[in-house]
Amino acid sequence: VAAATDTWIIGLGEARTAARRDDVSITELAWEAVEPALRDANTSLPEIEGAVTASQDFWDGRTISSMSVNELVGGVFGSEAKVASDATLGLGYALARMEDEDQHLNLFLAHAKESQGDIHTIELAAFDPYYQRALGPDDTVVAAFQAQLLYAQGLFEPSHSARVVAAARAWSSTLEKVSPQDVLDSEPTADPLRQLDRAPLLDCASALVLADGDNARRLGRTGVRLVAAASRTGAYWSQRPELHTAPEARAAAEEALSIAGWELSELDAIEINAPYAHQHLIVGHALGLGSGEELVERFEGDGKGPAVNASGGWLGGSAGSVAGLHAVVSVAHRLRENGGRGLVHATTGVGCQSHHIVLLEAAT
Amino acid sequence: MTPVRTAVVATGQSDHGRRFDASMGEIAREAIDRCLGSRGLTFDDIDAVVAGNMEMFEGIYLVDQYLVGALGALDKPLYKLNTGGTVGASAALACYHLVASGRHKRVLGVGFQKQTEGSAQSAITTVGDPVWERAVMAGAIGNFATMASTYIAESGVTPEQAAKVAVKARRNACLNPHAHLQLPNITVEEVLESEMLAYPIHRLDFCPSSDGACAIVMAAESIAADHAEHPAWVHAVATSHDQQYMGDSPKRLAVMRSLQAATKKAYKLAGVTDPRHDFDVAELYEPASYAELAWYENVGFCPMGDGGKLIDAGVTLIDGDLPVNPSGGVLSTNPVGATAMIRVAEAANQVMGEAGEHQIPGVRRALATGYGGNAWSDVMILSRELPATAEVSA
Repeated sequence: VAAATDTWIIGLGEARTAARRDDVSITELAWEAVEPALRDANTSLPEIEGAVTASQDFWDGRTISSMSVNELVGGVFGSEAKVASDATLGLGYALARMEDEDQHLNLFLAHAKESQGDIHTIELAAFDPYYQRALGPDDTVVAAFQAQLLYAQGLFEPSHSARVVAAARAWSSTLEKVSPQDVLDSEPTADPLRQLDRAPLLDCASALVLADGDNARRLGRTGVRLVAAASRTGAYWSQRPELHTAPEARAAAEEALSIAGWELSELDAIEINAPYAHQHLIVGHALGLGSGEELVERFEGDGKGPAVNASGGWLGGSAGSVAGLHAVVSVAHRLRENGGRGLVHATTGVGCQSHHIVLLEAAT
Repeated sequence: MTPVRTAVVATGQSDHGRRFDASMGEIAREAIDRCLGSRGLTFDDIDAVVAGNMEMFEGIYLVDQYLVGALGALDKPLYKLNTGGTVGASAALACYHLVASGRHKRVLGVGFQKQTEGSAQSAITTVGDPVWERAVMAGAIGNFATMASTYIAESGVTPEQAAKVAVKARRNACLNPHAHLQLPNITVEEVLESEMLAYPIHRLDFCPSSDGACAIVMAAESIAADHAEHPAWVHAVATSHDQQYMGDSPKRLAVMRSLQAATKKAYKLAGVTDPRHDFDVAELYEPASYAELAWYENVGFCPMGDGGKLIDAGVTLIDGDLPVNPSGGVLSTNPVGATAMIRVAEAANQVMGEAGEHQIPGVRRALATGYGGNAWSDVMILSRELPATAEVSA
């Protein structure tokens, strides 16, 4: 098990998020996040030794999706590596690049321009080509199976998920507010899911500058430390009879907390990122944040302990590959201001197959 | 922290070709089983898995997650890298960093692709800018036709010299039981008379489209000797890219600026001052015959413009002074997600003395490169000697 790191988050930046950013290319959208992150870090591209990015091919209509951005992260005649997953997994790789002294000043970027992709076609391709694809499934179909299983256990019901959506929209600075009843009244997609149960498709980008201790001190930016990262991958959705559980999220969190030497109760900020509302309940329950009313109140900011997803999370306005980093940026801002410790979770895959955890801490 | 010295301790490859007998998962597992089985390892010994595969090239999205069981990644961290043709090398570099950082002790890297189930050229066409490039640069062949035309004009290299590379590759492949194209009787004339795909690229000047997989295990210094008598120690890794649009990069590919930049960094780290003589063997990612000649120049095996002379002199033949691609190279085997990892695995096999019939005697140091995307380059230098310094990346 890796030791806690001496890696610091010294720069934060985000692009303007919207359903369609037809006014900018992918490259320009990403620069909207990179430029303020560099400025915040008090550094510039020539100082950056390498970059790690997170994105998924074809979500913006292109293979090798990081080709659009490597020239603006210092990758021309420099190093850029793309992790095809949520950015929180990519942060684990970026940490490795820092810890082996490959890079001392790293630029981390996650980007998605979902308005340019044919999302149903892409999601359909994640299903078995022989036995499942002819039925035309997508992520929503599996999420519906998952929600049915979850609600059948009796711990949660659709109104809880609707309240998670409403809470996310209340925190959001991007999306319009909705009530739980709006969610329950929105168009049915796959029973028991409604249209507003799913995070909307958006164009967005988030960026960090990471530095080792020496560079963080040199640049006067020892505000927030990236303490630990851990990840676990579960079985393909159709091979998981207990699709309504997330033991991998718990295992990843336990590993990360063990590296940090922290307890869950010591956290001041918790962020859970998944594309469907009920999946937040599954993950929250797996992490030990409670069940039923008790957990839902955490999302609404009225429960015992700090609010969950005070950033609004994926449901409040982010995108695949970017959601975890959007939450990291939000938590880092809060830790800079208020101090404390934070946990960010995100998931990848059909029916939440992989779970990733990163831990952050304000300098004392 | 001081990086952990790290080595390739095991490799395995599937049989490459048109594999209608096996699914993609079975092909990946064939490589993994051969890799782990060669050292008596099991999935329980592996801390993390790095997958290299090009999304949608066989029509599967999130293929790493779809095949999680076959890849042995259940309940483990599963990293998926996705960097174009370089992806296998990028995955190998990730294995290195995950071990060298101290995060894991043994990491399994797997590169795989089943191209008979998809349309790789359709996917590769989306490399190009949709407005400016896509209509005139369809697929990989168009890029290398441009490269070869430029290269001929700039260096005076001849189609006959390029054809010699094509012949070398397919004859070397006859010594490699995993290779796709094994053509023992191929001749220069046959290459030059093969179908013209896009001037000046003939069919036999170009790489095939293969199904196949490659696996490697990288391990930390503390345990490497437990798994291999002669671990292939990583002495340097480096990555470099060129610009997004071909028009931004004059003489692009013929003058491979990213390969020059990456090798320059890697040579400095590994103490390589005379690449022509400091390496005993090289596995270069050559999608086309002309590319290999140009790569000789760009990695410093000869002066710029002299690539053709190197093959004429027989230097890079399997019995030459500096054999290049004794495995048969990309011209003989090209399952995209695995192709660059095969370069690393073959270089490691040469260093470990385990390359079988295409083993070059007395290999102490080997160079492996990956090519992909908009002229990206990955470089890894492997050696039988333990690195004097643990700082080997850039």
